[in-house]
Amino acid sequence: MARARLRAFAVVTVLAMVLPLIAACGQAGPTPTPVIVKETVPVTVKETVVVQVTPTPGPKRGGTLIVGLMSPVLTLDPADYRDRQTETVIRNMFDGLVTRTKDNQVVLEMAKSATLIDPQTWEFKLKEGMTFHNGDPVTAEDVKFTFDRIITEKAIEYPEPHTAARKGLIAPLESVEIVDPLTVRFHLKAPWPVFMQMLCHQQIIPKKYFESVGGTKGFIEHPIGAGPFKFVEGKLDDQIVLERYDNYYGGADDLPPVGPAFADRVIFKIIPERSSRVAALQAGEVNIIQGVPSYIVPQLLSDPRLQVKTCAGTRPHFMEMNVKMKPFDDVRVRQAINYGVNVDLILAKILSGYGVRLPGILSPFNNFADPSIKPYPFDVEKAKALLKEAGYENGFSFVIDVSADAKELAEAIAGELRTNLGLDVSVRVWDWAVLRPKLLAGERQATVGSWGDSAFDPVGYLEAKVHTYVEGSTYGRGNYSQYSNPRVDELVKAGEVETDVAKRHEIYNEIQRIVWEEAPMLFLFVPQEIEAAAANVQNWGPSPDSRINLHDVWLSQ
Amino acid sequence: MRGVKILERLLYTIPIMFGVAVLVFLFMRMTPGDPVDIMMGEAGTVAPGEMEQLRKEFHLDEPLHVQLYLFLADAVRGDLGYSYAYKKPVTELIAEQLPATIELALGALLFGLIIAVPIGIWSAVKQYSVVDRLSMAGAFLGVSMPAFWLGILLILIFSVKLRWLPVTGRIDYNAGLQVVTGFYVLDSILTGNTTALVSSLKHLVLPSVALGAGTTAMVARVLRSSMVEALRQDYVTLARAKGVRETWVVLKHALRNALIPTVTVVGIQVGVLLGGNMIVEQVFSWPGLGRLAVRAIFSRDFPLVQGVVMVYALTFVLANLLVDILYTYINPKITL
Repeated sequence: MARARLRAFAVVTVLAMVLPLIAACGQAGPTPTPVIVKETVPVTVKETVVVQVTPTPGPKRGGTLIVGLMSPVLTLDPADYRDRQTETVIRNMFDGLVTRTKDNQVVLEMAKSATLIDPQTWEFKLKEGMTFHNGDPVTAEDVKFTFDRIITEKAIEYPEPHTAARKGLIAPLESVEIVDPLTVRFHLKAPWPVFMQMLCHQQIIPKKYFESVGGTKGFIEHPIGAGPFKFVEGKLDDQIVLERYDNYYGGADDLPPVGPAFADRVIFKIIPERSSRVAALQAGEVNIIQGVPSYIVPQLLSDPRLQVKTCAGTRPHFMEMNVKMKPFDDVRVRQAINYGVNVDLILAKILSGYGVRLPGILSPFNNFADPSIKPYPFDVEKAKALLKEAGYENGFSFVIDVSADAKELAEAIAGELRTNLGLDVSVRVWDWAVLRPKLLAGERQATVGSWGDSAFDPVGYLEAKVHTYVEGSTYGRGNYSQYSNPRVDELVKAGEVETDVAKRHEIYNEIQRIVWEEAPMLFLFVPQEIEAAAANVQNWGPSPDSRINLHDVWLSQ
Repeated sequence: MRGVKILERLLYTIPIMFGVAVLVFLFMRMTPGDPVDIMMGEAGTVAPGEMEQLRKEFHLDEPLHVQLYLFLADAVRGDLGYSYAYKKPVTELIAEQLPATIELALGALLFGLIIAVPIGIWSAVKQYSVVDRLSMAGAFLGVSMPAFWLGILLILIFSVKLRWLPVTGRIDYNAGLQVVTGFYVLDSILTGNTTALVSSLKHLVLPSVALGAGTTAMVARVLRSSMVEALRQDYVTLARAKGVRETWVVLKHALRNALIPTVTVVGIQVGVLLGGNMIVEQVFSWPGLGRLAVRAIFSRDFPLVQGVVMVYALTFVLANLLVDILYTYINPKITL
C-alpha cells in the first residue's frame, strides 16, 4: 500500500514538474493585437491570387457560413479582451460608431456624423432607428455607458473587480458627455491624431439589457449587441453560433450592401491546428479559413471547389541585432548584414513569394512609408568591404535566438550569412515567453521575428520598435535591438500628438531615413495574409487587419 | 474492511494534492515569462500604469509567500482563482472542458481494450502464428507512431478523401443536443436524441483511434506475454488434463491470472490518455482540458495552469486507487 501511495505521489510530482516545463520547449509566437489604423491614404491591396469563380446573378439570402478560426475566442465582452480572434467574433455581433473598409479607411458605422469640435472634442450623432437584438433602441446613454465601463478603473465587476482590457486602446479618452438622446461628445485628455482609427476597435453594448441581466456575468452568458448577427449559443473554446438579426439597421453606408446580412446563420469554429483547418475546408466542414500557410496554396488552387485570396499583410519581419553588443555595436557590421543576405531568395523559398520586401522600418503598405527608401541591394562585395573596414575581415560568430515559429526563417538567414560572408552563425530555439525578457534586457545578440502593424500608421508601432526601451510602457516594448537614438525618440513623441498630416509625413520620413542608415535590424519582408474558402462563398475577402466581416458574404448555392 | 481502507486511501490524497498545489505554484513562478507582458501582446498603446494596475489586480506585486498564502487560502474553499485571459473562474472553465477530455479518454480506452484484449489473447494462444506476427508488427507501429501524425493521417483518409467522418469538434451544431452532464454521448442517450448520438459518436471515432493507438499496442503486448506465461503454469496443464474445455482454460484459468499486470498497465494508460489529450485535442479541435492547459502555459495564465495540473494530478491518484481496488477483486490474496 505504501508503495502504491509513493508511486502515486511520484507520478503527480513528475507531472507537476513536467507541465510547466512544456513551456520551455514548445512554441509560442507573440500574440497579434489590433493596433491603430490610419486615415486618408488608401492602401493598395494586391490580390495576387484570385481564382475565377462563376459569377452569380446577385446576392442570395440563406445558408450557414462556417468559419475556421486560428485560436480560441476569449470572451464575448467587447470591453475585456486584447486579441484579434475575439475581435472578429465580437464585431459580427456588435457594431461601433465607426468602422474600417477593406482598404483601411475609417467610415461611419452607427454614427451619422462625426465632427471635430476642437482638437480635444469629437461630437457624434447617432443614426435614428437603430435597435439592439432585443429590440431596445440605441441611444446616447448606451454609448456613454459602454465607454464609462471601459475607461473607469475596476469598472468590470466579474469575476473580480478589474479594469477593462480595452482601456489601453483608448487611453487618452477623458469622458463621454450626452448632449441629447442621439448625440454624444468625446472629451480627450490631449489631441490624439489616431482617435478615429482607434475608435473602430470599440463596440457599443446596451445599458438597459446589461443592467437587467445583473451585469457582466449575465451579459457574457447571453450577449446582445446591435450588429448584423445575434448570439444563439456558443462555447468559446469550441464553436459559437450566431443568427442573422433581421432588424439590423444596415451597417456603414460606405460599405455596401447596406441592410440585414445574407447568411441565415454564422458559426465560428475554433481550429488551432493549421493542417486540421485546411483539412476541414477540404472536407467541406467549414466554408472559410484564415491563416493558410503559403506552401499549401498550390494544392488548394488545384481544387476547383476552393478559392484562395490574399491581401497586404501587417507583419513586418526582421532580424534584430543587439547594437549594444559586439560585433553589432558597429553600424558598418549591421549594414554589411543587410547587404550580405539575399532577401528575395528567402522570400521566394520560404514564403513561396507571398510577400513583399520590407525596405526599411515601415511596411510599404504603411500610410506614412517613404517611397524614396529602397531595400538594401544584395551586394556581397560591398558587405565584405564593410566588414573589412570594421575590422572583421575574418568574420565572426554569433547566435540567433528565436521562438519556434521563426526557426525556419532564422536558419535561412544563417545559411545566407555562412555562404555569402563566411560568418559562423547558429540558431537556438526558445519558448517566446522565456526569450522575450532576455531580449528586452539586451542579453542576446540577435533575434528573428515580426511585429504587428495592422494600424498602417506609425503611431504605436514605432514607439514599440525604435524608441528607447522604457519598462512598463509602450516605448521600446518590441525594441529587441536595444536601439536608442535621442533624435528618433524625440521624433516618435512628436508624431504622437501632431495632427497635421504633412508634418507627420516629415517627422516619419526623417525617422525612416535615420533607422535605414543605422540599420539596427536586417529588413526582411511583409508576408501576405492568406485565406481560403469554398468556391460558393461570394463577396468575401481577407482584410489587412485579419478581421472577417460576414455581413456582406453570401453563398451562391 | 475494504471500505475503511478505501476511505483511508482517499484521505491520503489530501496531502498529495496539497503538495501538488504548492509545487505547481512554485514551478509556474520560477518559469521565466511575465503574464501581464504577454497579455499586452504587441499593443502599440499601453496606458501609463496599466501594467502595474494589472499586476496589482492579479496580486503579482505581492511577495511570493503572500501569493502562495492567498492561493492556498482560496483553494481550500474550492476557489482556484480566475483565469487572466478568459476572465472567468478557473473552476468554471475546468468544469466546462473536463467532460470533453474524459469522454475522449474513455473513447480511446474503450477502443484500445476492444482491439487489444482479443488480439492479446489470440496471439498468446496461437504463438508465432501469422496473427501473432501481424499483431506484433501492428503493436510496434502503434507504439512508435506519434498521435499527432496518426491524427493527421486519419483526417486525410477518412475526412478529406472519403468524407466519412468529421475533422473537428464534438458534435454538429444542428444536432439539437440538450446538454445535461457535458458528456455528449451520454447526454444524447439520456435525452433520447438519436441524431445527436450518431453525430457525437462520429466525432468521437477518429480522435479516439488516434489517442488510443498507443494504448492498444501496449495492452495487447502486455496481455500477450502474461498470457503466454500463465498458459505455461501447472494449473493450466492440470485443468487441461482434467478435460476442461480449452476456451474455458484460456478465459478463466489463464486470463484471470494474466490480468494483474494488464490492469496495472491500463491504470497507467488512463493517465497517459489524459496527458496525451493535449496533442490529439489540438489536432481534432477537441474542446478539452488539454487545449486549455497548452494555451494557459504559453500565456502564463498561472491560476488556470495550477487548476488544470491539480485536476490531472487528482485523476492520476484516483486512477491508481482504482487499479489497487481492482487488484483485490482479481486476486483476493492482495489487500489494499
